[in-house]
Formats: sequence, structure tokens, C-alpha cells
Amino acid sequence: MALKYESHVRGPLVEGAKDYHQVTEDIVRPIETNPSRLWWMGFIISVALLLFGVYSIYRDVTYGIGQWNLNKTIGWGWDITNFVWWVGIGHAGTLISAILLLFRQGWRTGVNRAAEAMTIFAVICAGQFPIWHMGRVWMAPFVMPYPNTRGPLWVNFNSPLLWDVFAISTYFTVSLLFWYSGLLPDFATVRDRAKLKWRKFTYGLLSFGWTGSTKHWQRHESLSLVLAGLSTPLVLSVHTIVSFDFATSVIPGWHTTIFPPYFVAGAIFSGFAMVQTLLLIVRKVLKLEDYITIEHIEVMNKVIVLTGSIVGIAYLTELFISWYGRNPYEIYAFNENRLNIFSPYGWSYWLMMACNVISPQIFWFRKLRRNIVVTFFMSIIVNVGMWFERFVIIVTSIYRDYLPSSWSTYYTPTIWEIGFYLGTFGLFFTCFFLFAKFFPVIAIAEIKHILKRSGDNYKQHWVEAEKESLEKFYHDTHQDHH
Amino acid sequence: MANKKYWQSFSELNNSDVHKELSENEFPESLPFEGTDKGLANAPASRRDFLKYLGFSTAAAMAAASCETPVRKAIPYVNKPENLVPGVADYYATTYISGGEAIPVIAKVRDGRPIKLEGNTLSSFTHGGTTARVQASVLDLYDTARLRHAKANGVAADYEAIDKTLAEQFAAVSGEVVVLTSTITSPTTKDIIKNFLAKRAGRHIQFDNVSHSGMILANEATYGKKAIPSYKFESAKVIVSFGADFLGTWLNPVEFQHGYTAGKKLNQNNPTLNKHYQFESIMTMTGANADARYTHKPSEQAAVVNALYSAVKGESVTGVSDSVKEGVQKAAAELNANKGAGLVVANSNDVNVQIVINAINEVIGANGTTINWAAPQLTHQGIDSEMAALVADMEAGKVGALLIYGTNPVYEYFDGGRFANALSKVKLTISFNDREDETSQLCKFILPAPHFLESWGDAEPKAGSYSMVQPTINPLFKTRPFQDSLLIWTGATETYADYIKTYWTAKLGGDSNYIQALQDGIVETNNNVTGAAFNGGAVATAVAANAAKKAAAGLELVVYQKVGLGDGKNGNNPWLLELPDPITRATWDNYIIVSPQVAKETFKIDLTKVGQANDYEINVMKPLAKVTVNGKEVELPILIIPGTEAETLAIAVGFGRAKEIGRAVIAQDGTPVGKNAYPLLSFNGNTVDWHTANVSIENTGKKFKVAQVQTHNSYEGRREVIKETTLKEFQADNKVIYNERETELHHFGGIENFVEEGTLYPQLPKPGVKWGMSIDLNSCYGCGACVVACNAENNVPVVGKQEVARFHDMHWLRIDRYFSGNPEDPNSIQTVFQPMLCQHCDNAPCENVCPVAATNHSSEGLNQMTYNRCIGTRYCANNCPYKVRRFNWADYTGADSFANNQQPLVDEGSMDDVVLMMNDDLTRMVLNPDVTVRSRGVIEKCSFCVQRLQEGKLKAKKENRPLADGDVKTACQQACAADAIVFGNANNPESEISKVRAENNLRVYHALEMLHVLPNVNYLAKVRNSDDISNSGVLSAEKHEPKTKPAAEAHH
Repeated sequence: MALKYESHVRGPLVEGAKDYHQVTEDIVRPIETNPSRLWWMGFIISVALLLFGVYSIYRDVTYGIGQWNLNKTIGWGWDITNFVWWVGIGHAGTLISAILLLFRQGWRTGVNRAAEAMTIFAVICAGQFPIWHMGRVWMAPFVMPYPNTRGPLWVNFNSPLLWDVFAISTYFTVSLLFWYSGLLPDFATVRDRAKLKWRKFTYGLLSFGWTGSTKHWQRHESLSLVLAGLSTPLVLSVHTIVSFDFATSVIPGWHTTIFPPYFVAGAIFSGFAMVQTLLLIVRKVLKLEDYITIEHIEVMNKVIVLTGSIVGIAYLTELFISWYGRNPYEIYAFNENRLNIFSPYGWSYWLMMACNVISPQIFWFRKLRRNIVVTFFMSIIVNVGMWFERFVIIVTSIYRDYLPSSWSTYYTPTIWEIGFYLGTFGLFFTCFFLFAKFFPVIAIAEIKHILKRSGDNYKQHWVEAEKESLEKFYHDTHQDHH
Repeated sequence: MANKKYWQSFSELNNSDVHKELSENEFPESLPFEGTDKGLANAPASRRDFLKYLGFSTAAAMAAASCETPVRKAIPYVNKPENLVPGVADYYATTYISGGEAIPVIAKVRDGRPIKLEGNTLSSFTHGGTTARVQASVLDLYDTARLRHAKANGVAADYEAIDKTLAEQFAAVSGEVVVLTSTITSPTTKDIIKNFLAKRAGRHIQFDNVSHSGMILANEATYGKKAIPSYKFESAKVIVSFGADFLGTWLNPVEFQHGYTAGKKLNQNNPTLNKHYQFESIMTMTGANADARYTHKPSEQAAVVNALYSAVKGESVTGVSDSVKEGVQKAAAELNANKGAGLVVANSNDVNVQIVINAINEVIGANGTTINWAAPQLTHQGIDSEMAALVADMEAGKVGALLIYGTNPVYEYFDGGRFANALSKVKLTISFNDREDETSQLCKFILPAPHFLESWGDAEPKAGSYSMVQPTINPLFKTRPFQDSLLIWTGATETYADYIKTYWTAKLGGDSNYIQALQDGIVETNNNVTGAAFNGGAVATAVAANAAKKAAAGLELVVYQKVGLGDGKNGNNPWLLELPDPITRATWDNYIIVSPQVAKETFKIDLTKVGQANDYEINVMKPLAKVTVNGKEVELPILIIPGTEAETLAIAVGFGRAKEIGRAVIAQDGTPVGKNAYPLLSFNGNTVDWHTANVSIENTGKKFKVAQVQTHNSYEGRREVIKETTLKEFQADNKVIYNERETELHHFGGIENFVEEGTLYPQLPKPGVKWGMSIDLNSCYGCGACVVACNAENNVPVVGKQEVARFHDMHWLRIDRYFSGNPEDPNSIQTVFQPMLCQHCDNAPCENVCPVAATNHSSEGLNQMTYNRCIGTRYCANNCPYKVRRFNWADYTGADSFANNQQPLVDEGSMDDVVLMMNDDLTRMVLNPDVTVRSRGVIEKCSFCVQRLQEGKLKAKKENRPLADGDVKTACQQACAADAIVFGNANNPESEISKVRAENNLRVYHALEMLHVLPNVNYLAKVRNSDDISNSGVLSAEKHEPKTKPAAEAHH
């Protein structure tokens, strides 16, 4: 399960002279102690935002979508922008947990638990938008293909929105299972350490009777691999299908074949940025700097500069194709609605460009990659940029499309539209704070897995380790689990 | 035996107190909880109570959660009235009456309620056409602001009491009894007024708020006839109009649209068109349709008319600007080349201008060819000076009693304030208006007259053309016809209904003829075209008087009528208020129309600069300006309209009403909607002037919300949307449009094979009925009658100004208006109107994106909406290239499952009171029972009037015959006076739609055809009789290639 050799130049992934016990102590501590004042503050703010979001949705459901500033020309605005944004954010978690697992990237162990949690919560938030943006949300079950008494009435399998329903629900289910199966050994650890009755009972239930037997470990590893295999195509497919909402339409600016790869790259880009934002806070608040090290941060910054550049290439390709395609409607959508900074929404295009393409380029410099303040700042910038990317795609395409008679007046969100978005932040952080309090935010078992290879005190013995016989090495690493 | 009583227990036998209490509580209505006196929460709940609570709360939660739409119960007839089949409509011929206007109509009556008006096709002058106002007038019947009973001195009174009081008061009147009405075209009403006045010292004054007395007096001077002739636009090959909006508001637009259309229908194999010159100061709807349009200052009109007079006589043209001179010379040349087939009209209310117009018409031989004196128009008979004299007499105390019917001078007289003062000097004032309008409020007695749909009557809009009025519903309120009152006060015993019957039976010679007349609705006698002897004696003086008028310097103001709202007599009609103006595309308010030059100088908005143009167009908040006219100040927002003469401002009448007019005329903040522009008119001692010089405008720095449904003005050279060419080009090569279309489609098989080769998928056969519509851009003038007809037919909700401003208008059919040309040169502006509705695409982009298949395709080619399946994702609306799908953003109709969610909706999304007015039980009587009222959260759009299609098919089936062409007509098609819309089964080669498409195959095109959405609506390209096409559809100062060039040569 692990490679024998690890490069000398790579810094240790677990800092401080940790042993197995110390790892457990460090990670389980937040669960066993009372939450800090900082935690309470964050939690209360999150719940307040959540409640505001609930009220915003209440207004939208009771009084109608007219509570938002969408109009006859702009049928989707903040709602679907936020949907795509949240779905995109989720992607980093799956990528880290699935694809990096398959690629045997040891550094993922420090961040995968939190990243997967982020995925789950982000998808929950994303799901709110397609649901509550419906004019008659109480009829939402119509999108499910179930046998009914309405004659031969069935859902429309041609509709990308229906594909979304399947894509998102599958994604959510698989991500949840993957995340939970990874949690089992750690729940068992908490259970075994528990001194309080309720904790023992609760974590006992949650851990599904995990005993740590070899059979459990063996099945656990297999399940992880299977789920990683299932998740891997999902990383690509979910955002591809989300991009079909636009790519299969006839609207200039939406009808673009580059969307699937471009959306996936963008999703990973924004997802990693969000992981950075969250982990920089978590490591600080929960004092986990030894586990989420500057190495982790740097690696993720590399992913950010890579995906950001892919996204940049995609933007330029779009422009090129619109020019090369000679479709005047598409040329207008790109040149006038977007590129022209003096057009009503020109600013949003250039804001997107600045945030997504230009600013991440600073991560070519090692110093900046390893600077926590810069990273935190950039992670926010990237997510602002990615939000605007979706806004640019959705709003600047439809607000001036085919018939100039229908070109729209200026669209700005109402307080209830913003409230809904803030509400999903509330939902996300409420979930995340509960997760940080009650769940091990770092995969204890997996950290232990790499401890002897990438741990600070073990790394010093690398020269010796290199001299070790292969048999002995395997023997050692296979002790990791125990 | 009868008193024998059985008892069940001793306590009952003894009638004890305990028993009494028990028997009274045998069936308690409240839930029998114990101990709830301490509050429900503290009640000691026994096990049984627990179960009760549980059961109750579960049931309550279920009831609350089920959100069932409140059921409104309809009570069936106990005794079915004879001749009334529930669910089957009856049709009655009657006449739309508004002021002097009278248009023959057919009223559709469903279950005792008139719900829709159509034009009466038997009429020889309207040919079944209608205007927006005619279409909307059925809603006025159900207006919540109508008075429901008579009022005497502000309190409700019954008619007997009023009659008794008035008998005394009439006897005591000292001074004249004056009957002040709008123009009366009804011969019987005129007789009744005459008889009423015969017994008293008095007179009858007809007051037209929009008067044509200048014309009437000019005709008196030159033809010796105090009347207005008929104009036969159908016989005119050359039409010159000086500001007359004859397609929109001038005299009888329905008649003129029909006539004008004769010269705009194009035969592609032998293409000819009439030529229409328009000289005007503001962009009227008629000017927008002109082939050549020249602008001048309002004060220059007399000089321009003089110039044309000189030119047609072959004299040199002086005193006008170079551009106008060029136009005058061209027009004169054409008029002279088409002697006897030309027509010159003017909107001026100036006698001298109209005398010279008559002289021009005499020179070009219009008298007796395009001007028909055999059937004068009787719709406008008012003489301004008579009204002025009346006001003076009232002030002098010479008038003892004033009876006001059908007119509202306090509001619509140019000096309403003075009239109101004068009114207070009259002892006995009686109003017969249907509501407490500005004038009625000040009258001592109000005897509301019924709506024309509740009345008997007759009308003679043109001499010899009579139109009958018959009731279509029992009077809704305690109203009494004006004529009945006069008959009673004259001492007659018969009612007006009897009077009509007697009159017409005698006139037509027998009962059966009378019944026939009622059935047909019209009686017509005269069809000749004759001229009148022309007396040129007054012409020289008139020319001199015109020449003496000096063109004023500085800004000038034109007061005009909006095409939808007209003179404002239907001022509380939500359909009309929400009908976008054809030129400005604005709803609900009036505003100051300014030229791009004024915008640049005073408001610092330069439309030629893209950034500023964008800012202006995307913001609903427009600059608020203050206009000062003769010391009167008006604050209104501005709208910049290209084509407006540089130094001209314009304000429409019909707004700024009193709150008693109704709930639609009051804005959300409680102020009136718009401002009254009538006080900006002026009286020159003879006639009322509709334009004023020496006007100033200033920018207040404030902003005001204007609700426009369209904000972008140009079609950006998108020739896939609009195809237009000039007659010259079309004559040179009648395939010019066809070839352009071929170029667009040649990558995909060309026109012939486009349907198959434009797609990867196989085409399915489309047998049976295939509905199709053809819209001729050459004969759509933008008037909006079709839009209101669609609203009425399809229960399209009214959303109010706030919602329109948020781009939430719900119209299924809209008329897109595009300008092209240089905004700084008003003469270069060309306008095109394009009715836009669901195109019923055979390969519809909306259909395949709906996740629940709520919108789908019928076997007859209809793109249909299943409202109860729609979940409201709005994906279809996004993916519609024509943006014709409309979403119910809020509960506009009261049809929602959620109670009390219409008002108030704080800040964003707050609805106007008019929405609630439209949901009033009274107003809802206008709803078409054949069409679902849509609830909140669903998409809706044009259905091709599917209810009419079903009705037509059912009728054919019952008669056991195939569906014939003409069995069904869509509401828009039926309303159009210009026959711009043709509809039918395109699979039937004999149908009109097939013929129109075949006969015009060189002009047929589909909007955005290259998308391969395969619309079932086609357009016929516009062919202008102009010199060129301005800037290929772009509104820009730069000169563009005028040549027709498809924008999309390649599309993937």
C-alpha cells in the first residue's frame, strides 16, 4: 500500500516527533475537550446565517420567485450560479480522496477527511439551489422517475436538468459512503478512548462494531479501493453533466463544446481553494499544524496554479473559437457581453480573469506557495473568481441573447437572493463546525499509515531505511495499521 | 294525543337542571377537552385527551400541509334561462362607444357575462377591425370604481327621489339649461336631447377633448360643410400626413388602417406600394410606418404646409429647412404624378392650416376620389369656441343647469381649473358619468349611465352607416341610461329601449327589419364616393396667415395621445395602462419624450456613446425633468426617442387622474400615475392648440422609475431577425430576400432541404392538421390591438408598474420595435415593428430541456404548456431564442395555493394595487372560462388560442365535416384591422395560410431560421417604399454598409 522510497527533498508530512499515541492524542483532543470560545463564535454565526437563509427560502416559497430579481430574460441568476459554484467546490474532496488514493499520494492523508466532509456539505448546499429555485417546489417529486397514476407520464430523459438530478444524487451517495467508511476506524479509536458513557455508546454505534481485526482492515482497504474506483469517474462526470445544462442549449455563450473539461478543471480549482481556506482555519483553531503542514499547503497550491492555468487556457480557447466560428451571435456574446469592459457586465468578466487566471500565477514562486497569509488570501480570491466565472457564463450569456428587443435591464440580486446564498454558507459552516467538534478532522488511521515514512522523526532515519532490505521494509510498513 | 310526550329518564320527566344542561350540550361544537381553562399547555391531559390532542393535531397538520387551493363554489342555475346553454357562448352585435368614437363590435357572452369583443365584419368601414381600446373596453364593464347607485349631494339616493327633487329644481332654474356632452353620434339620443331642450331655454354643447374643430371650420370655409369627410386611404397611392397619426389615434384609425393596408400589401410578381410621406415633430406610430419621414419644429408646421401648397402648384418652395424642402418637393412631385390618387391630411387644429390642406387636396384631385363627402365622419363634432363660450357663460352666471354626459371637462378641458370654478357658479349640476370622476365629484347629482354593453342605443359614426347598441348583460349596478333620465324629465312615459324600438322600426319599415338590424348590428345605406364643391376664397388669406406665423426659437412642446390609452376616457383600464406604447415601449406612466440632442445637452446622456447608451438603457430609473410651459410646471421622467425633432418635447394626455377614477390610476406611493397634460394645451381664441413654443426643460437631478418592456432600440444588423429591403431593390430583383435566406442556409442544404439536412436526426411525417401563422411586417403598424385581444382571450394577468419595471410583464404577444439610422439625424430614423409570440417550433429548444416534459409538442404542431405539470425551473424560458416564455413570478391571479401572499410584499416584489383590482370578484367576471388561470410558479406563453382551435374542431366534428379554413381564428388575427396576421392549417393547400405562403414565397422567412428550430410562425419581409435602408438596422452615427448582408453566414 505504500511506496518504499520517498524523496529526500520532500519535507516531512507529519511534523514534530510524533509517535502513534501522540497522533491519536492530537487529533482526538478536540472531540474530548470542550469547544473553544472561537468555535462557539463561529458556530453561532453559522447558525444565524442558516436561519436567515431559511427565512429567505420561506419568502421565496410563500411569495414566489418574484422575491428574486430574475426576469423574463434572465431566468437564472444567483440561484444557478451558486449551485454550480457549490458543486464545483465539492470536487476537490472527491479528487483528494479518490484519485489521489489511486495515485498513491501520501500527502492526501492529512487533508482528505476534511476535504471529503467539505464535499458532502458542499453538495448538500448545492442541492438547495435547484430545489428552491423551482417555481412550484412542492411539485419537485415530479423530477423523479417513479411509476405514477398519471397515465404514461414520465420524466423527460432528454433534459440536462434531469441528468443533474441523477448525477448529483449519485455523487452525493457515493461520496457519503466513501467518507463514512473511512471514518469507521477513527470512530472506533474515539470509542475505545471514551470515558463518558454517552460517548462510548454513540461512537460505538457510529463505528459499526469495528474491532480492528485484520479481516476488518482487509475489507476496509478493499472497500476504499472500490469506492475510490467508483468516485473517480464521478469527479469527471458530475461537473460534465452540470456543464451540459449550458452546453446543450442554443444560447450563444452557453452552447459551447469546451464546457465539460473546462468545468471539471474549474471545479477542482475552486475545490482546492476552498480546502485551503478551511484547512488553514482548522489547523490554526484545532492546533493541527503538525499534521496539516506547509508541505500540504504547497502541494495544493501547485494544483491550484495548474488548474487555474487550465481554466485560463479554456477561457482563451472560448474566445478564439467564438472568433474562428464566425457566428455573429456568439461573437457578440463574447466580445460585447464579456470582453468589452464598458458593457454592463464587462467588469464581471475581467474580475473573473483577474481572480482565476492572473492572480494564481504568483504560485510559480515557491516562497509565495509556502506563505500562509498569501495562500489564505489567494484561496478566497480564487473562489470569488470562480463564483464570477459561473455568473459570467450564466448571466452575461442570457441577458443579451438573440433578440435585442428582449435584452434585459440590469440584474442585481435582492436581499432574499443574497440571503439564500448566505444561508447555504450558514448550512455549510454549521455542518463543518459540528464535524470539527465531533468527528476526527484528520484520518487518524491514515496518518499513522504514513507516519513511519513521512513523519519528522522517521524521516531522519532515511539513510538507514534505504539500506534496509526490501523484506524488512515491507514488514515494517505493514505494521503501520496496528 | 297531540301533546303526548315520551320521556327517557326521570330527570327528563322532571326537567331537572342537570338534564337541561346535558341536552343543550348534546352536540358540543368545541373539542371536549378537560381543564383547558388553565390554558391548553397546562391542561391535565388524560389518556383519552392525549388521543384527542393527537388526533386533532394530526388532522390539523394534514389540513395545513395539504395546502389545497381554496375552492370557490359556483352555484348552478335552479331554473335554466331559456336560450342559454352553460359553456356555450352567445354572440351579440353591438357598438363600442367612447366619447364620439363608435365602432361596430360583436360581444361574446359566456354564461351571461360579456367576456370578449370582436369587430363586426359586416361594417363597410371597419371590416371587423378593432383597436386596443375596443378590445380593452369589456374590462371597463367590470371596473370596480364604477358608481353602483345614483348620488345626490354626495349621498346615495334612489332615482324616484332624485326625479322628484329635480322636477322642482328644474322648475326653479333661472338661466339656461345646458346639456354638455361629448360628440353624440346617436340619432335617437340627439332627438331626445332636442326634445328635452325644446321645453326649456337651453342648448346642447358637444365638447371633444381631442377636438378637430380646426378641420371642421376649415371645411365650412372651403366646402361649405361643417363636418369632416371620409378619407379613402385605400384609393391613395401617395399619402402625405402632417403629424396626423391616422394609424394610431387620428379620427378613425381602424378604418384608416384597413384602407392604408391596401397600398401596403405587396404582390411579389408585380411589386408596387403606396408612398407615404410624414412631416412631423415627434415620432408618431404613423410616422414610424412612413416611407419617408421629415421632421420640423411644431411651430413650423404652417410653413411646411404652405411649402407643399406652393410645390404642388409648381411654385418655388421657401421658408423651410433644406431637408424638409427636399421632402416637400419629392412629395409634391409624386402627388402631381398621381393626380386623383393622392391624399394629404394634417393633425393641426388650426383653421388656416387645414384650409391650405384642403387647397392642396383640391389641386391634387383628392376631392371626390380619396376624400369622400358622401359619408362624412360624425365622430368629432365639437367646436372649441362653443365650449369656451359656455365656460364664459357659466362664469357669468347665465347657466342655471348643466347636464354633463360622456365628458369630463374638469380633467380634459385645457383649462380644467377654470371650468371647475365656473361649475361652482351653476346652481344645478348633474353628471351622468359612470364614476365619480374629476367633474362628477363637483356635480350635485350623479346619475351613472350604464356601460355600453349594458345599454340600448344606436350610433352613426359616418353619415349613412348606423350601428346598433344592444345590452349583453343585465345592468350590474343601479344605473340608468342618460336618455331615460332625459325622457322622464321631458315628461315622456316610454323608456329609451322602447324609444329605440319605435324609432328604428319606423325608420327601417317593420319589426323584422329591426330584428335583422339588431342581429347584424349595422344598417348601412350609402356607398358612393362623391366630392363637394370647393370654394377657394379663403385660401389666400389662410396662406398669408400661415406665412405670418413665425417659427419660434428654443424648445417646443407637443401634447399627443398615446396609441393605447388615447384621450384617457378609459383611463382606469389596466390592460391599456399595461399595453406598451408602440414607440417608447413604456407602460403605466406618461413621460417627456426628448430628442437625443436634448438628452445630450440637458441630461448629459449621449446615445452615440456606447457606455452612456448602455447606462441609460439598463437602468429603469430615468432622469426626472421639470418642464415649464406658460408658467405651468410639470415634473416627469424623460425617455429619449430617436426620430424626435431636436428641439421638441412631447407629453401624452390621459394620465394624472383623481383617485376616484379607479385603483389602476394610483401608483404604489399613493400619487397619481403620470401627470395630466391637458392643462398644457392652449386656446388661441378660436381653437385649442396641441403644441406650445417657449418651453424650458431642466434636469432636477432626481430619478424616476419608468417601466419599459423593451430597452434596446436597434436590431443590431441581425438580419436573421428582421429582413427588410426597399421597393426599388425588390423591383430590381424580387429574389433579394429569398437569396439572402438561401445564403444563410446554404451550408445546411439551402431553403429547399434545410428541414432535413439541417439536422442529424430523421424528420417525422407531420400529417393531419398543422397550424401555422404568417405575419406580414409590411402591414403591422404596431398599434397593439392584437396584444390586448390576446390579454382578454387568454386571461393574461396584469402585473402592475413595479413588476413591469422588473421585466416581469406577462404578455404572450408583444410587438418588438426597432429603430435604425443615425440618432442625431431624426429624418434618418427608420422603424420596424415585429409582433413576437411563441413561434411554435417543430424542433423546439424549450421542449427538450424541461425535466418533467411540461412543455411538449402536439401532433398539430403546437408547442403546448401543461401548467399543472410545470415545476417552474425556467430552463425553457432561458433556452427560448425568442424569449416569449413568461414566468409567474408572484401570485398575480389569486390562483395560488398559498393564502394571503399577494400583499404586502415588502421591498422587492411588492405588487401594485391594480393586481388586486384585477383579482376582485367583479373584475374576474371578464375571465375567459375556457382558459386556465395560471398559478404562481409556472411558465406560460402563447398557445395559438388552443381553446379556439378545439372549439372549431369540435364544431366541425359535430357537423360531421372536415375542418374548414376560417373555422378558427386566433384572437390576435381577429383583432387586427390591417390583416397582418394570417392563421390556419398549413397542411391544407386551399387554406389562406398556405396561399399566403405560396404567393409570398419570396418574402417568407422565419426569425432565426438558421437555428433549425423550425418555427410554425413565419414573417413576410418588410419592403419599404424608401430610398434606402438606414444603417442596416443599427442605431449609430456611423454610416454602415446599407446593402443587405446576412449577419450569420455560417452557424454551427
